Amino acid sequence: MSAPINTEEPRFAQFKLVLLGESAVGKVLHRFVKDSFDDFRESTIGAAFLTQTILLDHNTTVKFEIWDTAGQERYKSLAPMYYRNANCALVVFDLTKQESLEKAKSWIKELQRQANSDIVIALTGNKLDLVQEDEGAREVSEDEARAYANELGLLYFEVSAKTGQEIKESFKSIAEKLPIEEKVNPRQGRRSRNVDLSRPNTNDQQACGC
Amino acid sequence: MSYVTEPRRPSMVDRRPSMAERRPSMANGRKPSVIPQLAGIEKPISPQTPETCDVLICGTGLVESILAAALAWQGSNVLHVDSNPYYGDTCATLTIDQLKDWVHSVNQHTPGFQGFSKALLYIPRPQDLVSRDYGIDLTPRVVFARSDLMSLLTKSRVHMYLEFQSLSNFHTFENDSFGKLQTSKEDIFTDQSLSLATKRHLMKFLKFIFEYDSLDNLALVESYKDKSIQDFLQDRFKLDGPQINELVYSLGLSASPDISIPEGLSRIRRYLVSFNVLGQFPVLFSKYGGPGEVSQGFCRSAAVAGSTYKLNCALQSFDPKTKLAKFSDGTSAHVTEKVVCSPSQAPPHASYVPEMKYEITRLITVVKKSCREWMAENETAAIVVFPTASLSTNNKYPVQVLIMGAGTGTCPVNQCVWYLSTIQKGEVARKDLEAALLKLEDSILRESEDGFDVSLDPEDIIVKPDGATVINSVKLGKSFKDFVPKEKLQYLFKLCFTQHTAVPPFGVVSSSLFDTSAEKPTTDGSGVIPDSTVIYSNMPSTEISYDGVVTEAKLLYEKIVGSDDDFFDVDFENEDEDNDTLTDVAAGDEDAIIDDDEEEHSKAFKDEMDFDL
Repeated sequence: MSAPINTEEPRFAQFKLVLLGESAVGKVLHRFVKDSFDDFRESTIGAAFLTQTILLDHNTTVKFEIWDTAGQERYKSLAPMYYRNANCALVVFDLTKQESLEKAKSWIKELQRQANSDIVIALTGNKLDLVQEDEGAREVSEDEARAYANELGLLYFEVSAKTGQEIKESFKSIAEKLPIEEKVNPRQGRRSRNVDLSRPNTNDQQACGC
Repeated sequence: MSYVTEPRRPSMVDRRPSMAERRPSMANGRKPSVIPQLAGIEKPISPQTPETCDVLICGTGLVESILAAALAWQGSNVLHVDSNPYYGDTCATLTIDQLKDWVHSVNQHTPGFQGFSKALLYIPRPQDLVSRDYGIDLTPRVVFARSDLMSLLTKSRVHMYLEFQSLSNFHTFENDSFGKLQTSKEDIFTDQSLSLATKRHLMKFLKFIFEYDSLDNLALVESYKDKSIQDFLQDRFKLDGPQINELVYSLGLSASPDISIPEGLSRIRRYLVSFNVLGQFPVLFSKYGGPGEVSQGFCRSAAVAGSTYKLNCALQSFDPKTKLAKFSDGTSAHVTEKVVCSPSQAPPHASYVPEMKYEITRLITVVKKSCREWMAENETAAIVVFPTASLSTNNKYPVQVLIMGAGTGTCPVNQCVWYLSTIQKGEVARKDLEAALLKLEDSILRESEDGFDVSLDPEDIIVKPDGATVINSVKLGKSFKDFVPKEKLQYLFKLCFTQHTAVPPFGVVSSSLFDTSAEKPTTDGSGVIPDSTVIYSNMPSTEISYDGVVTEAKLLYEKIVGSDDDFFDVDFENEDEDNDTLTDVAAGDEDAIIDDDEEEHSKAFKDEMDFDL
């Protein structure tokens, strides 16, 4: 496909986003997806991963393929497959628990060890609703977390999974950091072709005679 | 592949209710979902090791991983552990550092490494290898486009975690050179090396294969009952040695010359019916690693359905009376139903690990060459087969070779991984493999010198404004000079080992292997035997395709659930089409397509065969 580049042509790019951090991560995800789909059906997510599509500007669509750990992180049993080709990661900690930031830091180390070097990492403090209600509940200061994020070149957000506050915005900021142009116009030259297994008639049940 | 199915159990009393039956139906008008609550999203994940589980599975090999996913989606509470720090167990995909540890453990007979022996590792320049640039498969495999695993991958959606690439080039070593197999009508007709008579005989045989099921043909095969497949092909279809070898060893990927006619024919047929199912190629492989990668996919699927995963956790013992399983990390779990264990992960002092009388000897090497000469355009892998008696060692069994280039994601650019294997045993096997390796080396050096195999960096290719590409001419000139002296092939890595299995070549594991019903003593003089009621799975078979893997997982599933009726009885809706209205705008831009001639593909190979002889 070598269509001429036309800035007015709709652009579409898909990215893999992995979630890491404390267990409320799943809820952040749920909120984000539910946010825009009223008739969101849970049965569709069991299969593989969630997808969420956002319009970045009038002609740019970014689709996130969101992987959650499915609990495999509990005993340090995440497969290399989880990190492979991840374009971005959301590392979530609890603003009301200092030790959860330490945990997040160890996940960031793990990402730096296992993921592509150009991965966009967003450090995300959750339970913004609680600390807004009662500033005393906050154990992690914004300055401290932000300084750490800046030092490592990470994005930093504070969100509430409970109310959905700032979640959409943070995904949008991540999308803005991603190499959309590269995805829309993939590199030239020889490339090995992947086969799309769902393309032909996959209902063929006669299989082989084995 | 055929196996004898046991008569289904008449009583389903001890069958666990299916997921749909166990869950109260949804009240709010949605159709009842067979999807369990999702770990981490709908139900909070407990931070503790579960104290109980329905089924404990030890070892995350491919069969065990498919089993875990099938049980989890059926509604069983699965605890899946592995004594290793990685997924895949006996069919893992490993980095160089992991392989070094693996070799050490095999040779030390470390518990958890039964099933392998005599591992030899050679790395001439360790500083030249970046460990994580490599993904070496302990048991590499290819998947036929039409096969039970392929159906399961799409049905379970596990294919969405994986990337697959095609493999079309099957080479047969004959008279000191590699012939490429001709399998389409056009290829056979245009092949200059074949006589007209041979072409006619080949076409006649291919037609026969597609009508193999007809009564006449079955009777014909029956009349050759006591003959070998080689005799059958020669006598009935007037084919000669080279064609017979190509059909039996390359198309059929037979690991042995001793193969029954029906078995041999079904293997050839397997290749032909897979052609043009997903494109003009018979087999595929998963990128970044084979069974080790596919295992991870099924484990993830099981985890999504609620299974608990614990690596670095070895089974120490299982007491059949108290049903308590104890692990190396000091934890324990109460197992309400069954324990399934890979032989490689048998607990210390185990008494009932199945006898493994078959061997596979493997030689895995990384060479500093792209080996593109062997691969089809736009592909990154190939298969080379050395038939029986084609090597200087007068090999009794064929040597099968899987060639995986850099594009497979398992080694750096301008390198290539060669996986050689044979079912020959002992020292003879190692000599056969070394002989085959020499032939491969000769061949790739010769072929790459004849051609224009210039190693190019992306910077050497200049893209002109009109889109045409130009190759840096300085580099081209220089490499012409480099071609003059005969180069030597550089081996970066070489590993040889023996793998043991209870599955005979061509066989699918027999259900009796999993029989635990026979009364076994649960104690001996020194105390409780730790595995008297454990169901052992098997070491990977000698088969170079994935065939047999799903069958084995189903047999184990049936042992546990009572029937395989609801094996992966899930119906996932297509989220892309249902949910993502926005993406329709940009349909067709998916990263993973990618075949241009759709029309051609929809035409079945069989149609091509409809012609008059």
